[in-house]
Amino acid sequence: MNPPPDDAPPAPAVELSGIWKRFPGVVANAGAHLKVRTGTVHAVLGENGAGKSTLMNVLSGVYRPDEGEVRIDGVVHHFRSPSDALAAGVGMVHQEFRLVPSFTVAENVVLGAAERIVRRPAVESAVAELAERFGLATEPDRPVWQLSMGERQRVEILKALWRDARILILDEPTAVLTPGEADELGRILRHMADDDRTVVFISHKLHEVTGFCDEATVLRGGETVAASLPVSETDSSALAGLMVGSSPVISERPPPVVAGGPKLEVVGLGCLDDRGLQALHGVDLTVRAGEIVGIAGVAGNGQRELAQAIAGLRPTTGGTVHMDGMDLTAATPRQRFGAGLGYIPEDRMGVGLAPRLSVTDNAILRTYSTHRRGPFLDHEAAVAHCRDLVERFAVRTGPLDQPIAGLSGGNLQRLLVGRELSGRPGVVLAAQPTRGLDVQGVKAIQDLLVAERGAGVAILLISEDLDELLTLTDRLLVMHGGRVVAEFDPELAGRHEIGEAMVGHPPVGAASA
Amino acid sequence: MRWPVLARRDQVLRGGQPLAFGVGLVVALAVGVFLLLGSGHDPLRVYARMFDASLGDPRAWSVTLNRAVPLGLAGLAVAVAGSMGLWNIGAEGQIMAGAMGAAWVARIGGGWPGPVLVTAMLAAAVVGGGLLALGPAIARARIGVNEIITTLMLNEVAIRLVQWLVHGRWKDPGSHNFPLAPMLPDNGRLPTLFERAHLGVVLAGIVIALFGLAVSRTAWGYELRVAGSSGATARYAGISLKRKILTVMVLSGGVAGFAGGVELSGNADRITEGLSNGFGFAGIIVAALALMRPSGVAAVALLFGAVQIGGQSIQTMGVSSSVSTILQALILFGAIAAGVLGRYRIQMVAGDTVETPSTGVES
Repeated sequence: MNPPPDDAPPAPAVELSGIWKRFPGVVANAGAHLKVRTGTVHAVLGENGAGKSTLMNVLSGVYRPDEGEVRIDGVVHHFRSPSDALAAGVGMVHQEFRLVPSFTVAENVVLGAAERIVRRPAVESAVAELAERFGLATEPDRPVWQLSMGERQRVEILKALWRDARILILDEPTAVLTPGEADELGRILRHMADDDRTVVFISHKLHEVTGFCDEATVLRGGETVAASLPVSETDSSALAGLMVGSSPVISERPPPVVAGGPKLEVVGLGCLDDRGLQALHGVDLTVRAGEIVGIAGVAGNGQRELAQAIAGLRPTTGGTVHMDGMDLTAATPRQRFGAGLGYIPEDRMGVGLAPRLSVTDNAILRTYSTHRRGPFLDHEAAVAHCRDLVERFAVRTGPLDQPIAGLSGGNLQRLLVGRELSGRPGVVLAAQPTRGLDVQGVKAIQDLLVAERGAGVAILLISEDLDELLTLTDRLLVMHGGRVVAEFDPELAGRHEIGEAMVGHPPVGAASA
Repeated sequence: MRWPVLARRDQVLRGGQPLAFGVGLVVALAVGVFLLLGSGHDPLRVYARMFDASLGDPRAWSVTLNRAVPLGLAGLAVAVAGSMGLWNIGAEGQIMAGAMGAAWVARIGGGWPGPVLVTAMLAAAVVGGGLLALGPAIARARIGVNEIITTLMLNEVAIRLVQWLVHGRWKDPGSHNFPLAPMLPDNGRLPTLFERAHLGVVLAGIVIALFGLAVSRTAWGYELRVAGSSGATARYAGISLKRKILTVMVLSGGVAGFAGGVELSGNADRITEGLSNGFGFAGIIVAALALMRPSGVAAVALLFGAVQIGGQSIQTMGVSSSVSTILQALILFGAIAAGVLGRYRIQMVAGDTVETPSTGVES
């Protein structure tokens, strides 16, 4: 071993160069590069589909790159598995936690990395000590199923630290956290960087990057468009510009339309969540013809349950749902569709589409009972309907008789939205319709919604993207704790006020239920 | 250094499944050569005998077809449930329940004309199998009880019930106290088609074709496939899952029961505790090989039947029954493995080892 000369800069903790990774029909990484200095928190930014996750999976040994070089502390590595990467000191905290709910925190932390016999008191105190060292508040003897999302994430981080990861990758870690928990995470990550560990932080939330990262690398279309920018010398609008390049991230604000009479009227709606706790406490709202009403809120404040209750997929505990004056409170999902309710569910693949079935089969999900000849499905009519959808809504697809699972997220959503709109609905209920789509996909879906509004359709748009809500909606409602706590005029509202309402501090005099 | 790894195909190969079976068969036969050489047999002669006994002449075909009938119907029973994502592991018991229903009708209908008796026996078989599946169906539809456990446990109930009948109430007074049920009346037997093959071959073919058509072409089958793909999607589309689960499970049991009735009326002299002969469990393999598609069940059952008949025939050449069973297992294993591997392709990727540091940068 030859120690490097004293005056040479130390090798970066991570150096990825010329990384190519192709998947069938997609180039995820096209010569991307990344350099992360030891002891820093480094943000990797980019839109959905920019190649961030692929690049991190290359770094953590999940994928092998088709081409390119991975260096850890200056040494070239060819990882064959995540355990190889871990042996080199690279640990990853995935978006979906990989924890055993019935095990305690300590058991989860040492799982697979322990001696054959786990002496619980010793392990628990060792885990507590490790947690203490990095300021990760946790109780080692509590079972994981009792923990909040933020606490579970800390367990995941502890798992990586326990395995002595010096380079920690976090894949969109704040997506599941409340704003308070996100701040706490930022503090923990800074703490680790001060301990000479290196943190790679994947995000598309700019304020977090400027909040607690040292440097940022921006990916776009699988390539690195800006490498290791010092965060202190840039600002969020510059980073946003880099992320989206020349294409507009948000559509123009649509011209005002005179709203008509009420189409969807929800009064005093209540329902339970999956755990059987009250999720909605009497929600009142009205959507008129030709108007987009937005619902903003931190995830988990009843938006999901509200959409399902209106769509007829969740039993209600009180209140009514009317469309065009017709009482639909007790109607089945099919009756609601027949009455003119189009529903774009939050969970595309598991609810709105049947992943194992063909494109054609998915296109007729709502209308198959009309494409019939006796007991048989009219195959020609189904194919014709599917062709029509594919053409009108510009769905890029392979053979129509192939399973839908091969389509990209944007095309899946076009097919789904197209199918719902082809029923000529009077009311469209859109839950997170643009989440996870690329810029083009977002634009296409937003344009479709705006066009429907222009045609006099009443649209209820539930979104976590505040920019989207501010641009598209005519009225903006904020939900907190299962109630509508405030209503804003999106053209006049300040982000700060809306943010305050989202965490339960509505402005004085605001609408409250 | 470049290494081969498996990568998942993004599209299923067209015609890949039959091709994979062929490849699997060849590989299994090649491995079997060593097995047979090791146990002191001439592999070529053994393979020739297997082929002759199962597919060599019309008589061999008739025996193979007869064997394929219960395998295909049991496979269909599993596949019908499977296309909705349900697992009917109880075909073995439902076959027995069907046979019991048919045998009961045969006991009371000895004087009826042949076609009437046989039809009544088969109808009773369907009802018997369906009844045995009814409990698990209701439990699953109403309160979500796992149907794998309930159907599996009912197998034991049905088989013991047959034992009890054969040892007790249904024991033939003329059997010199052997635990045997009386022989079927001659008018309770399915007519013969050719050689040993009975009419059940045609009936099974029709039933499989009908279900294949129903699942792939009707609105009912469409709902089934949506529900099998995702229960939440089915609810979104307005499909009543409870009713669907109930009808599908009962139909699945009915098909397995039908297999029992056909096997009794076509192939057996009388109902015995060995009548189901593992067909219900083999049906799970048949359905899996057919990728849970009812339309694919017939071809797989034929292959499966030929392997079984061929495998049994070589025991008369002195090949021990364990070697014969291993050979049968190898062939099925080869076909299943090839079917799975067919969904992947081989890709060359760079590098395999963690290289040693070229420069010492560790402090």
